[in-house]
Amino acid sequence: MIEFKDVSKIYSNGVVGLDHVNLTIEQGEFVGIIGLSGAGKSTLLRSINRMHDITSGSLMVDGLEISKLKTKELRNFRRKIGMIFQSFNLVTRTTVIRNVLMAKVPDMTFWRVLLGVFKKEDKIEALENLDKVGILDKAYIRADQLSGGQQQRVALARTLTQNPQIILADEPVAALDPVTAKQVMNDFKRINQEMNISILINIHHVELALEYADRIIGIRAGKIVYDGPSKDVTEEVLNTIYEGKIPNEMEEA
Amino acid sequence: MEFYDKVWKPQKLVLSNGKVVEEKRSRTPVILLLFIAATYLSVRITGFSFYTIMERGSQFFVILRQMLSPDFSYLGSIWKPLLDTIKMSLLGSFLGSILAVPFAILASYNLVKNKVVLAVVRVFLSIVRTIPTLVTALLATYIWGLGTMAGTFAITVFTFSYVGKQLYEMIETVDMGAYEAMEAIGAGRAYAFLSAILPQVLPGYLSVSLFCFEGNVRYAAILGYVGAGGLGLILNEKIGWREYDSVGMILLVLFGTVLLIETISHAIRKKLM
Repeated sequence: MIEFKDVSKIYSNGVVGLDHVNLTIEQGEFVGIIGLSGAGKSTLLRSINRMHDITSGSLMVDGLEISKLKTKELRNFRRKIGMIFQSFNLVTRTTVIRNVLMAKVPDMTFWRVLLGVFKKEDKIEALENLDKVGILDKAYIRADQLSGGQQQRVALARTLTQNPQIILADEPVAALDPVTAKQVMNDFKRINQEMNISILINIHHVELALEYADRIIGIRAGKIVYDGPSKDVTEEVLNTIYEGKIPNEMEEA
Repeated sequence: MEFYDKVWKPQKLVLSNGKVVEEKRSRTPVILLLFIAATYLSVRITGFSFYTIMERGSQFFVILRQMLSPDFSYLGSIWKPLLDTIKMSLLGSFLGSILAVPFAILASYNLVKNKVVLAVVRVFLSIVRTIPTLVTALLATYIWGLGTMAGTFAITVFTFSYVGKQLYEMIETVDMGAYEAMEAIGAGRAYAFLSAILPQVLPGYLSVSLFCFEGNVRYAAILGYVGAGGLGLILNEKIGWREYDSVGMILLVLFGTVLLIETISHAIRKKLM
């Protein structure tokens, strides 16, 4: 369970990232976070695993106060939280399986990390996770040989290998074509339903958000302006979130 | 450069729909003028004159002609100093390349956030790079005495500074996405570096180290001038005795060695890329 209590974030240049945010997300929810660029979607997501520090308020994950964690505790905490990035963030020069195995690095001894020697059971786990996202046959190919959608699945397999309770996805399909984007969203949905992993997605494509997420959080200038089931999102709600500038997709739809 | 645009007004291009685009005037003429002025100045300062070359240029070929008939009977006494030279450059390149790694990491702004550490390490690398290798070798002979140890030290120091700079520049241009992902997974900075950045810079690092080794064979050959062992020792001696046919033989062997090492190293570096 993730609990924001009166959380604010002000960047050193004075920009307000989060403005008195109150939010509770239960284990196993599929949440889509929408809003204009710069509204604070990334800040919200990244404050959960403290890739960004919050300025004030309380942020609890499974009863743990995140802002109070010390370096070592923070690292242990982050192991339970997966993160997916818009640009995949793989080591493209190396093979797919090695990228997936990176999820095991924090638990390994120094020499194993230095020499890149992984345990057999870890390799099997990595391969099983590649199988779950449907790219087992690509395991021994260099990551830069894959298409964008396949690379995002490698990142997904890497995250699954962490055995996370929560997956934070920061614009995971923004760099993908519409068809591939749907496939990746299907992967998220399946993982959410089969493994009861909470999924929080920042997303620009409103229709994808409404189709896949159970709950929508609309954010505008650091404030939460909508929080409710995706089926209750109306034109009016979107107008509030997007300050009257309805995204193109909605006009086309 | 705003001044430039005021003197030479940008060209106005008018589109058929009336929109105006301003294209700035080319900077090339000014740069060309500066270049010609610099060339003229350097000719004046160094006292370069074509007349002297015409007059005395032939002297160059007198010695060269004597070198062109190498004394093959001298070959036997070249092998040991040649091996010394190769040993110096190989060991020195190896040690220097390894020593460079921790310093390069400390000099990369994307890994180290402490500005003081960055500045200190970078200045240190620059200073080391500025000291001519011959001077390092000379200083080293006061510590280890005459011989290859001093040469090895000098080569190590040079390689350290050169590879160090190249490596930190490589680290700074690396894609930090994977590093960010490792931090998000809960890896410490050392583990994140090893698993996310090392695979990206390793081929480049090995390539630079090998390239440095190629050059070091040539540098090591003259280190003997200051008593640091190797080919330079006998080169200095034979030039002193004006035995140019032996000098020719030494240069021939050096040429062959350098060619061989460069060919091998080039082939390996091509594989690495």
